[in-house]
Amino acid sequence: MTRKVLLRYSTQKATEPILASVIKETDVLPNILYAEVSTKGGEILLAIDAPDKEVDKAIELFKQEGIEAQEIKRAIQLDRDLCFDCGACLSLCPIGALYITDDKSVELDDNKCIYCGLCVPSCPVRALKLSKFW
Amino acid sequence: MTGTKVNKSVADINDRIRRGDAVVVTAEEMVEIVRNKGEVGAAKEVDVVTTGTFGAMCSSGAWLNFGHSDPPIKIQRAWLNDVEAYTGVAAVDAYIGATKLSETRGFDYGGAHVIEDLVRGKEIEVRAIAYGTDCYPRKELKTILTKDDINQAVLCNPRNAYQRYDAATNSRDETIYTYMGTLLPNYGNVTYSGSGSLSPLHNDPNYETIGIGTRIFLGGAQGYIFWEGTQHAPAKAMGTIMTIGNLKEMDARYIRGATIEKYGTTLYVGLGIPIPVINERVAKTTGVSDEEIKTDLTDYGVPRRDRPILREVTYAELKSGKVEIRGKEVPVSPLSSLKQAREIANTLKHWIEDKRFFLSQPVEGLSTDQVFKPLKQVTAVPFVRDIMTREVVTAKPSDPIASTAKIFADRGFDHLPIVDARGRLVGIVTSWDIAVAVGTGKKKLSEVLTSKVITALENEPVDAVARRLEKHKISGVPVVNSCGELRGILTSQDLSKLLGRRGR
Ligand code: SF4
Ligand code: SF4
Repeated sequence: MTRKVLLRYSTQKATEPILASVIKETDVLPNILYAEVSTKGGEILLAIDAPDKEVDKAIELFKQEGIEAQEIKRAIQLDRDLCFDCGACLSLCPIGALYITDDKSVELDDNKCIYCGLCVPSCPVRALKLSKFW
Repeated sequence: MTGTKVNKSVADINDRIRRGDAVVVTAEEMVEIVRNKGEVGAAKEVDVVTTGTFGAMCSSGAWLNFGHSDPPIKIQRAWLNDVEAYTGVAAVDAYIGATKLSETRGFDYGGAHVIEDLVRGKEIEVRAIAYGTDCYPRKELKTILTKDDINQAVLCNPRNAYQRYDAATNSRDETIYTYMGTLLPNYGNVTYSGSGSLSPLHNDPNYETIGIGTRIFLGGAQGYIFWEGTQHAPAKAMGTIMTIGNLKEMDARYIRGATIEKYGTTLYVGLGIPIPVINERVAKTTGVSDEEIKTDLTDYGVPRRDRPILREVTYAELKSGKVEIRGKEVPVSPLSSLKQAREIANTLKHWIEDKRFFLSQPVEGLSTDQVFKPLKQVTAVPFVRDIMTREVVTAKPSDPIASTAKIFADRGFDHLPIVDARGRLVGIVTSWDIAVAVGTGKKKLSEVLTSKVITALENEPVDAVARRLEKHKISGVPVVNSCGELRGILTSQDLSKLLGRRGR
């Protein structure tokens, strides 16, 4: 299963070598889904497709390096009570995380989502919410 | 129309419903039945076909009667949760329209949301003002009401249930926000509306059974068709209906306020029409499949009344989720809910089976040959070529920076269009580019020019270009012809001169 890990660090930390060393010490090959740097620090969202033990180890290693590492369980939400399956969001999702089932319900595949937020404002009833990470 | 093998009356069918042996199927189920048994066989077997659609119906609204206050007021203007309602009728009647925006919450809340809140039984803040008369002395009113407090709340929609609608895409190199939803650049997606084979009017396009007085499913309650809809265009398979029903009985599952991004508010209305299968002709039309229903794939990137049509698409293609444009597979968004459309057709079917809903014989038919006329405009629409500045100083990519800097200094320009030897626009240089070029020792214009330029076409209406300047926050655009040759320049000054003339 793909797990998503959000790293948060202060500007003093140089993340690149840390990322590289964590990759070396574990078998994980993270995919960067999202990265943002500001004067206060940075945030990187990783998708890691590896055995649970390896992911846990990677999280531990990041922490040892002084980087806040937190697993993200759900950052985009489709509120089933509000959604009326209009499908307006479907064609805007760049990676097909939003899809329509045989019975014409619109669903969201969390694992695929890259949190780009493109779908959010297109929803006529505000059923899609991209929650803040912190 | 006569000469049919099967002939049933609406009264016969209602008798069967009453006896509990009417055969009722949804329009989706009917496709198979007609395919297997033929039109005559299907007409003998099936009594009623139910349809459904659940989509954005901007042309919707509700009549409300508040009752009289003491002392009484003849309301001149009124706001419901800060959304203005139309009150130019009598003293305490108001029409709240779906697309009217809140004066305090903008696109997030509009008349459509007021209507949904009323259906949900929520409290609505009502503010009103008046000029005061001898019989209606009161000048101001502020109160809180729910649907139970008011006399009538009647959903009354001038145009609903388009038989079919254009599918939309966008040729421009920027995202546009339209009533057909968000359209990605360079044909990046397609949107469409309507439920195809479940579409109420498409199941009886000759209006053999649908007319004034037809009882329908409207917003979860029983409603009626009371006229042809505005813009009714049956000759182009774009018929519409006017609908009416008691808002107080409706269900918020089928009446939803919505916001179309950067466009405005609209009301999603659930609507279903039962079609009595009175003969094989009707059986045939109710057997229509998504493969047979075609619509135009239209370029909404061109903001004109007659938008270019790319090609015809079927509802089967649209519903598949992918449409091919220029050899590329493009993702599709329905804007109306197919799931809810199905649910409505099924609910209507159950109502009839449970003897809770009987069919009505229309008292009058709907027009079958009406055409939708464009607006008569008494002032000519100005085109770019009419007001652009034709004398434009230009430069070539090979021109030296030094001499160009002099042009900027002498003439006080901000922008200089760069053209090639054949007069085609290849880029633009700004005074800032020149300053940087001088500072960094660049020699030729080709080293600093910006080749991605926002332009206007000679034959575009001025309003479209004004919108473009506003959107990109720029003060002017080079004007080109269809071959890309520079013909002039249009600046915000040209536009304000025009506006000055219009104002007079
Ligand atoms: S946030 Fe982006 S990736 Fe995730 S579902 Fe929405 S459009 Fe798709
Ligand atoms: S746009 Fe909103 S309401 Fe429509 S299907 Fe997507 S999440 Fe549901």
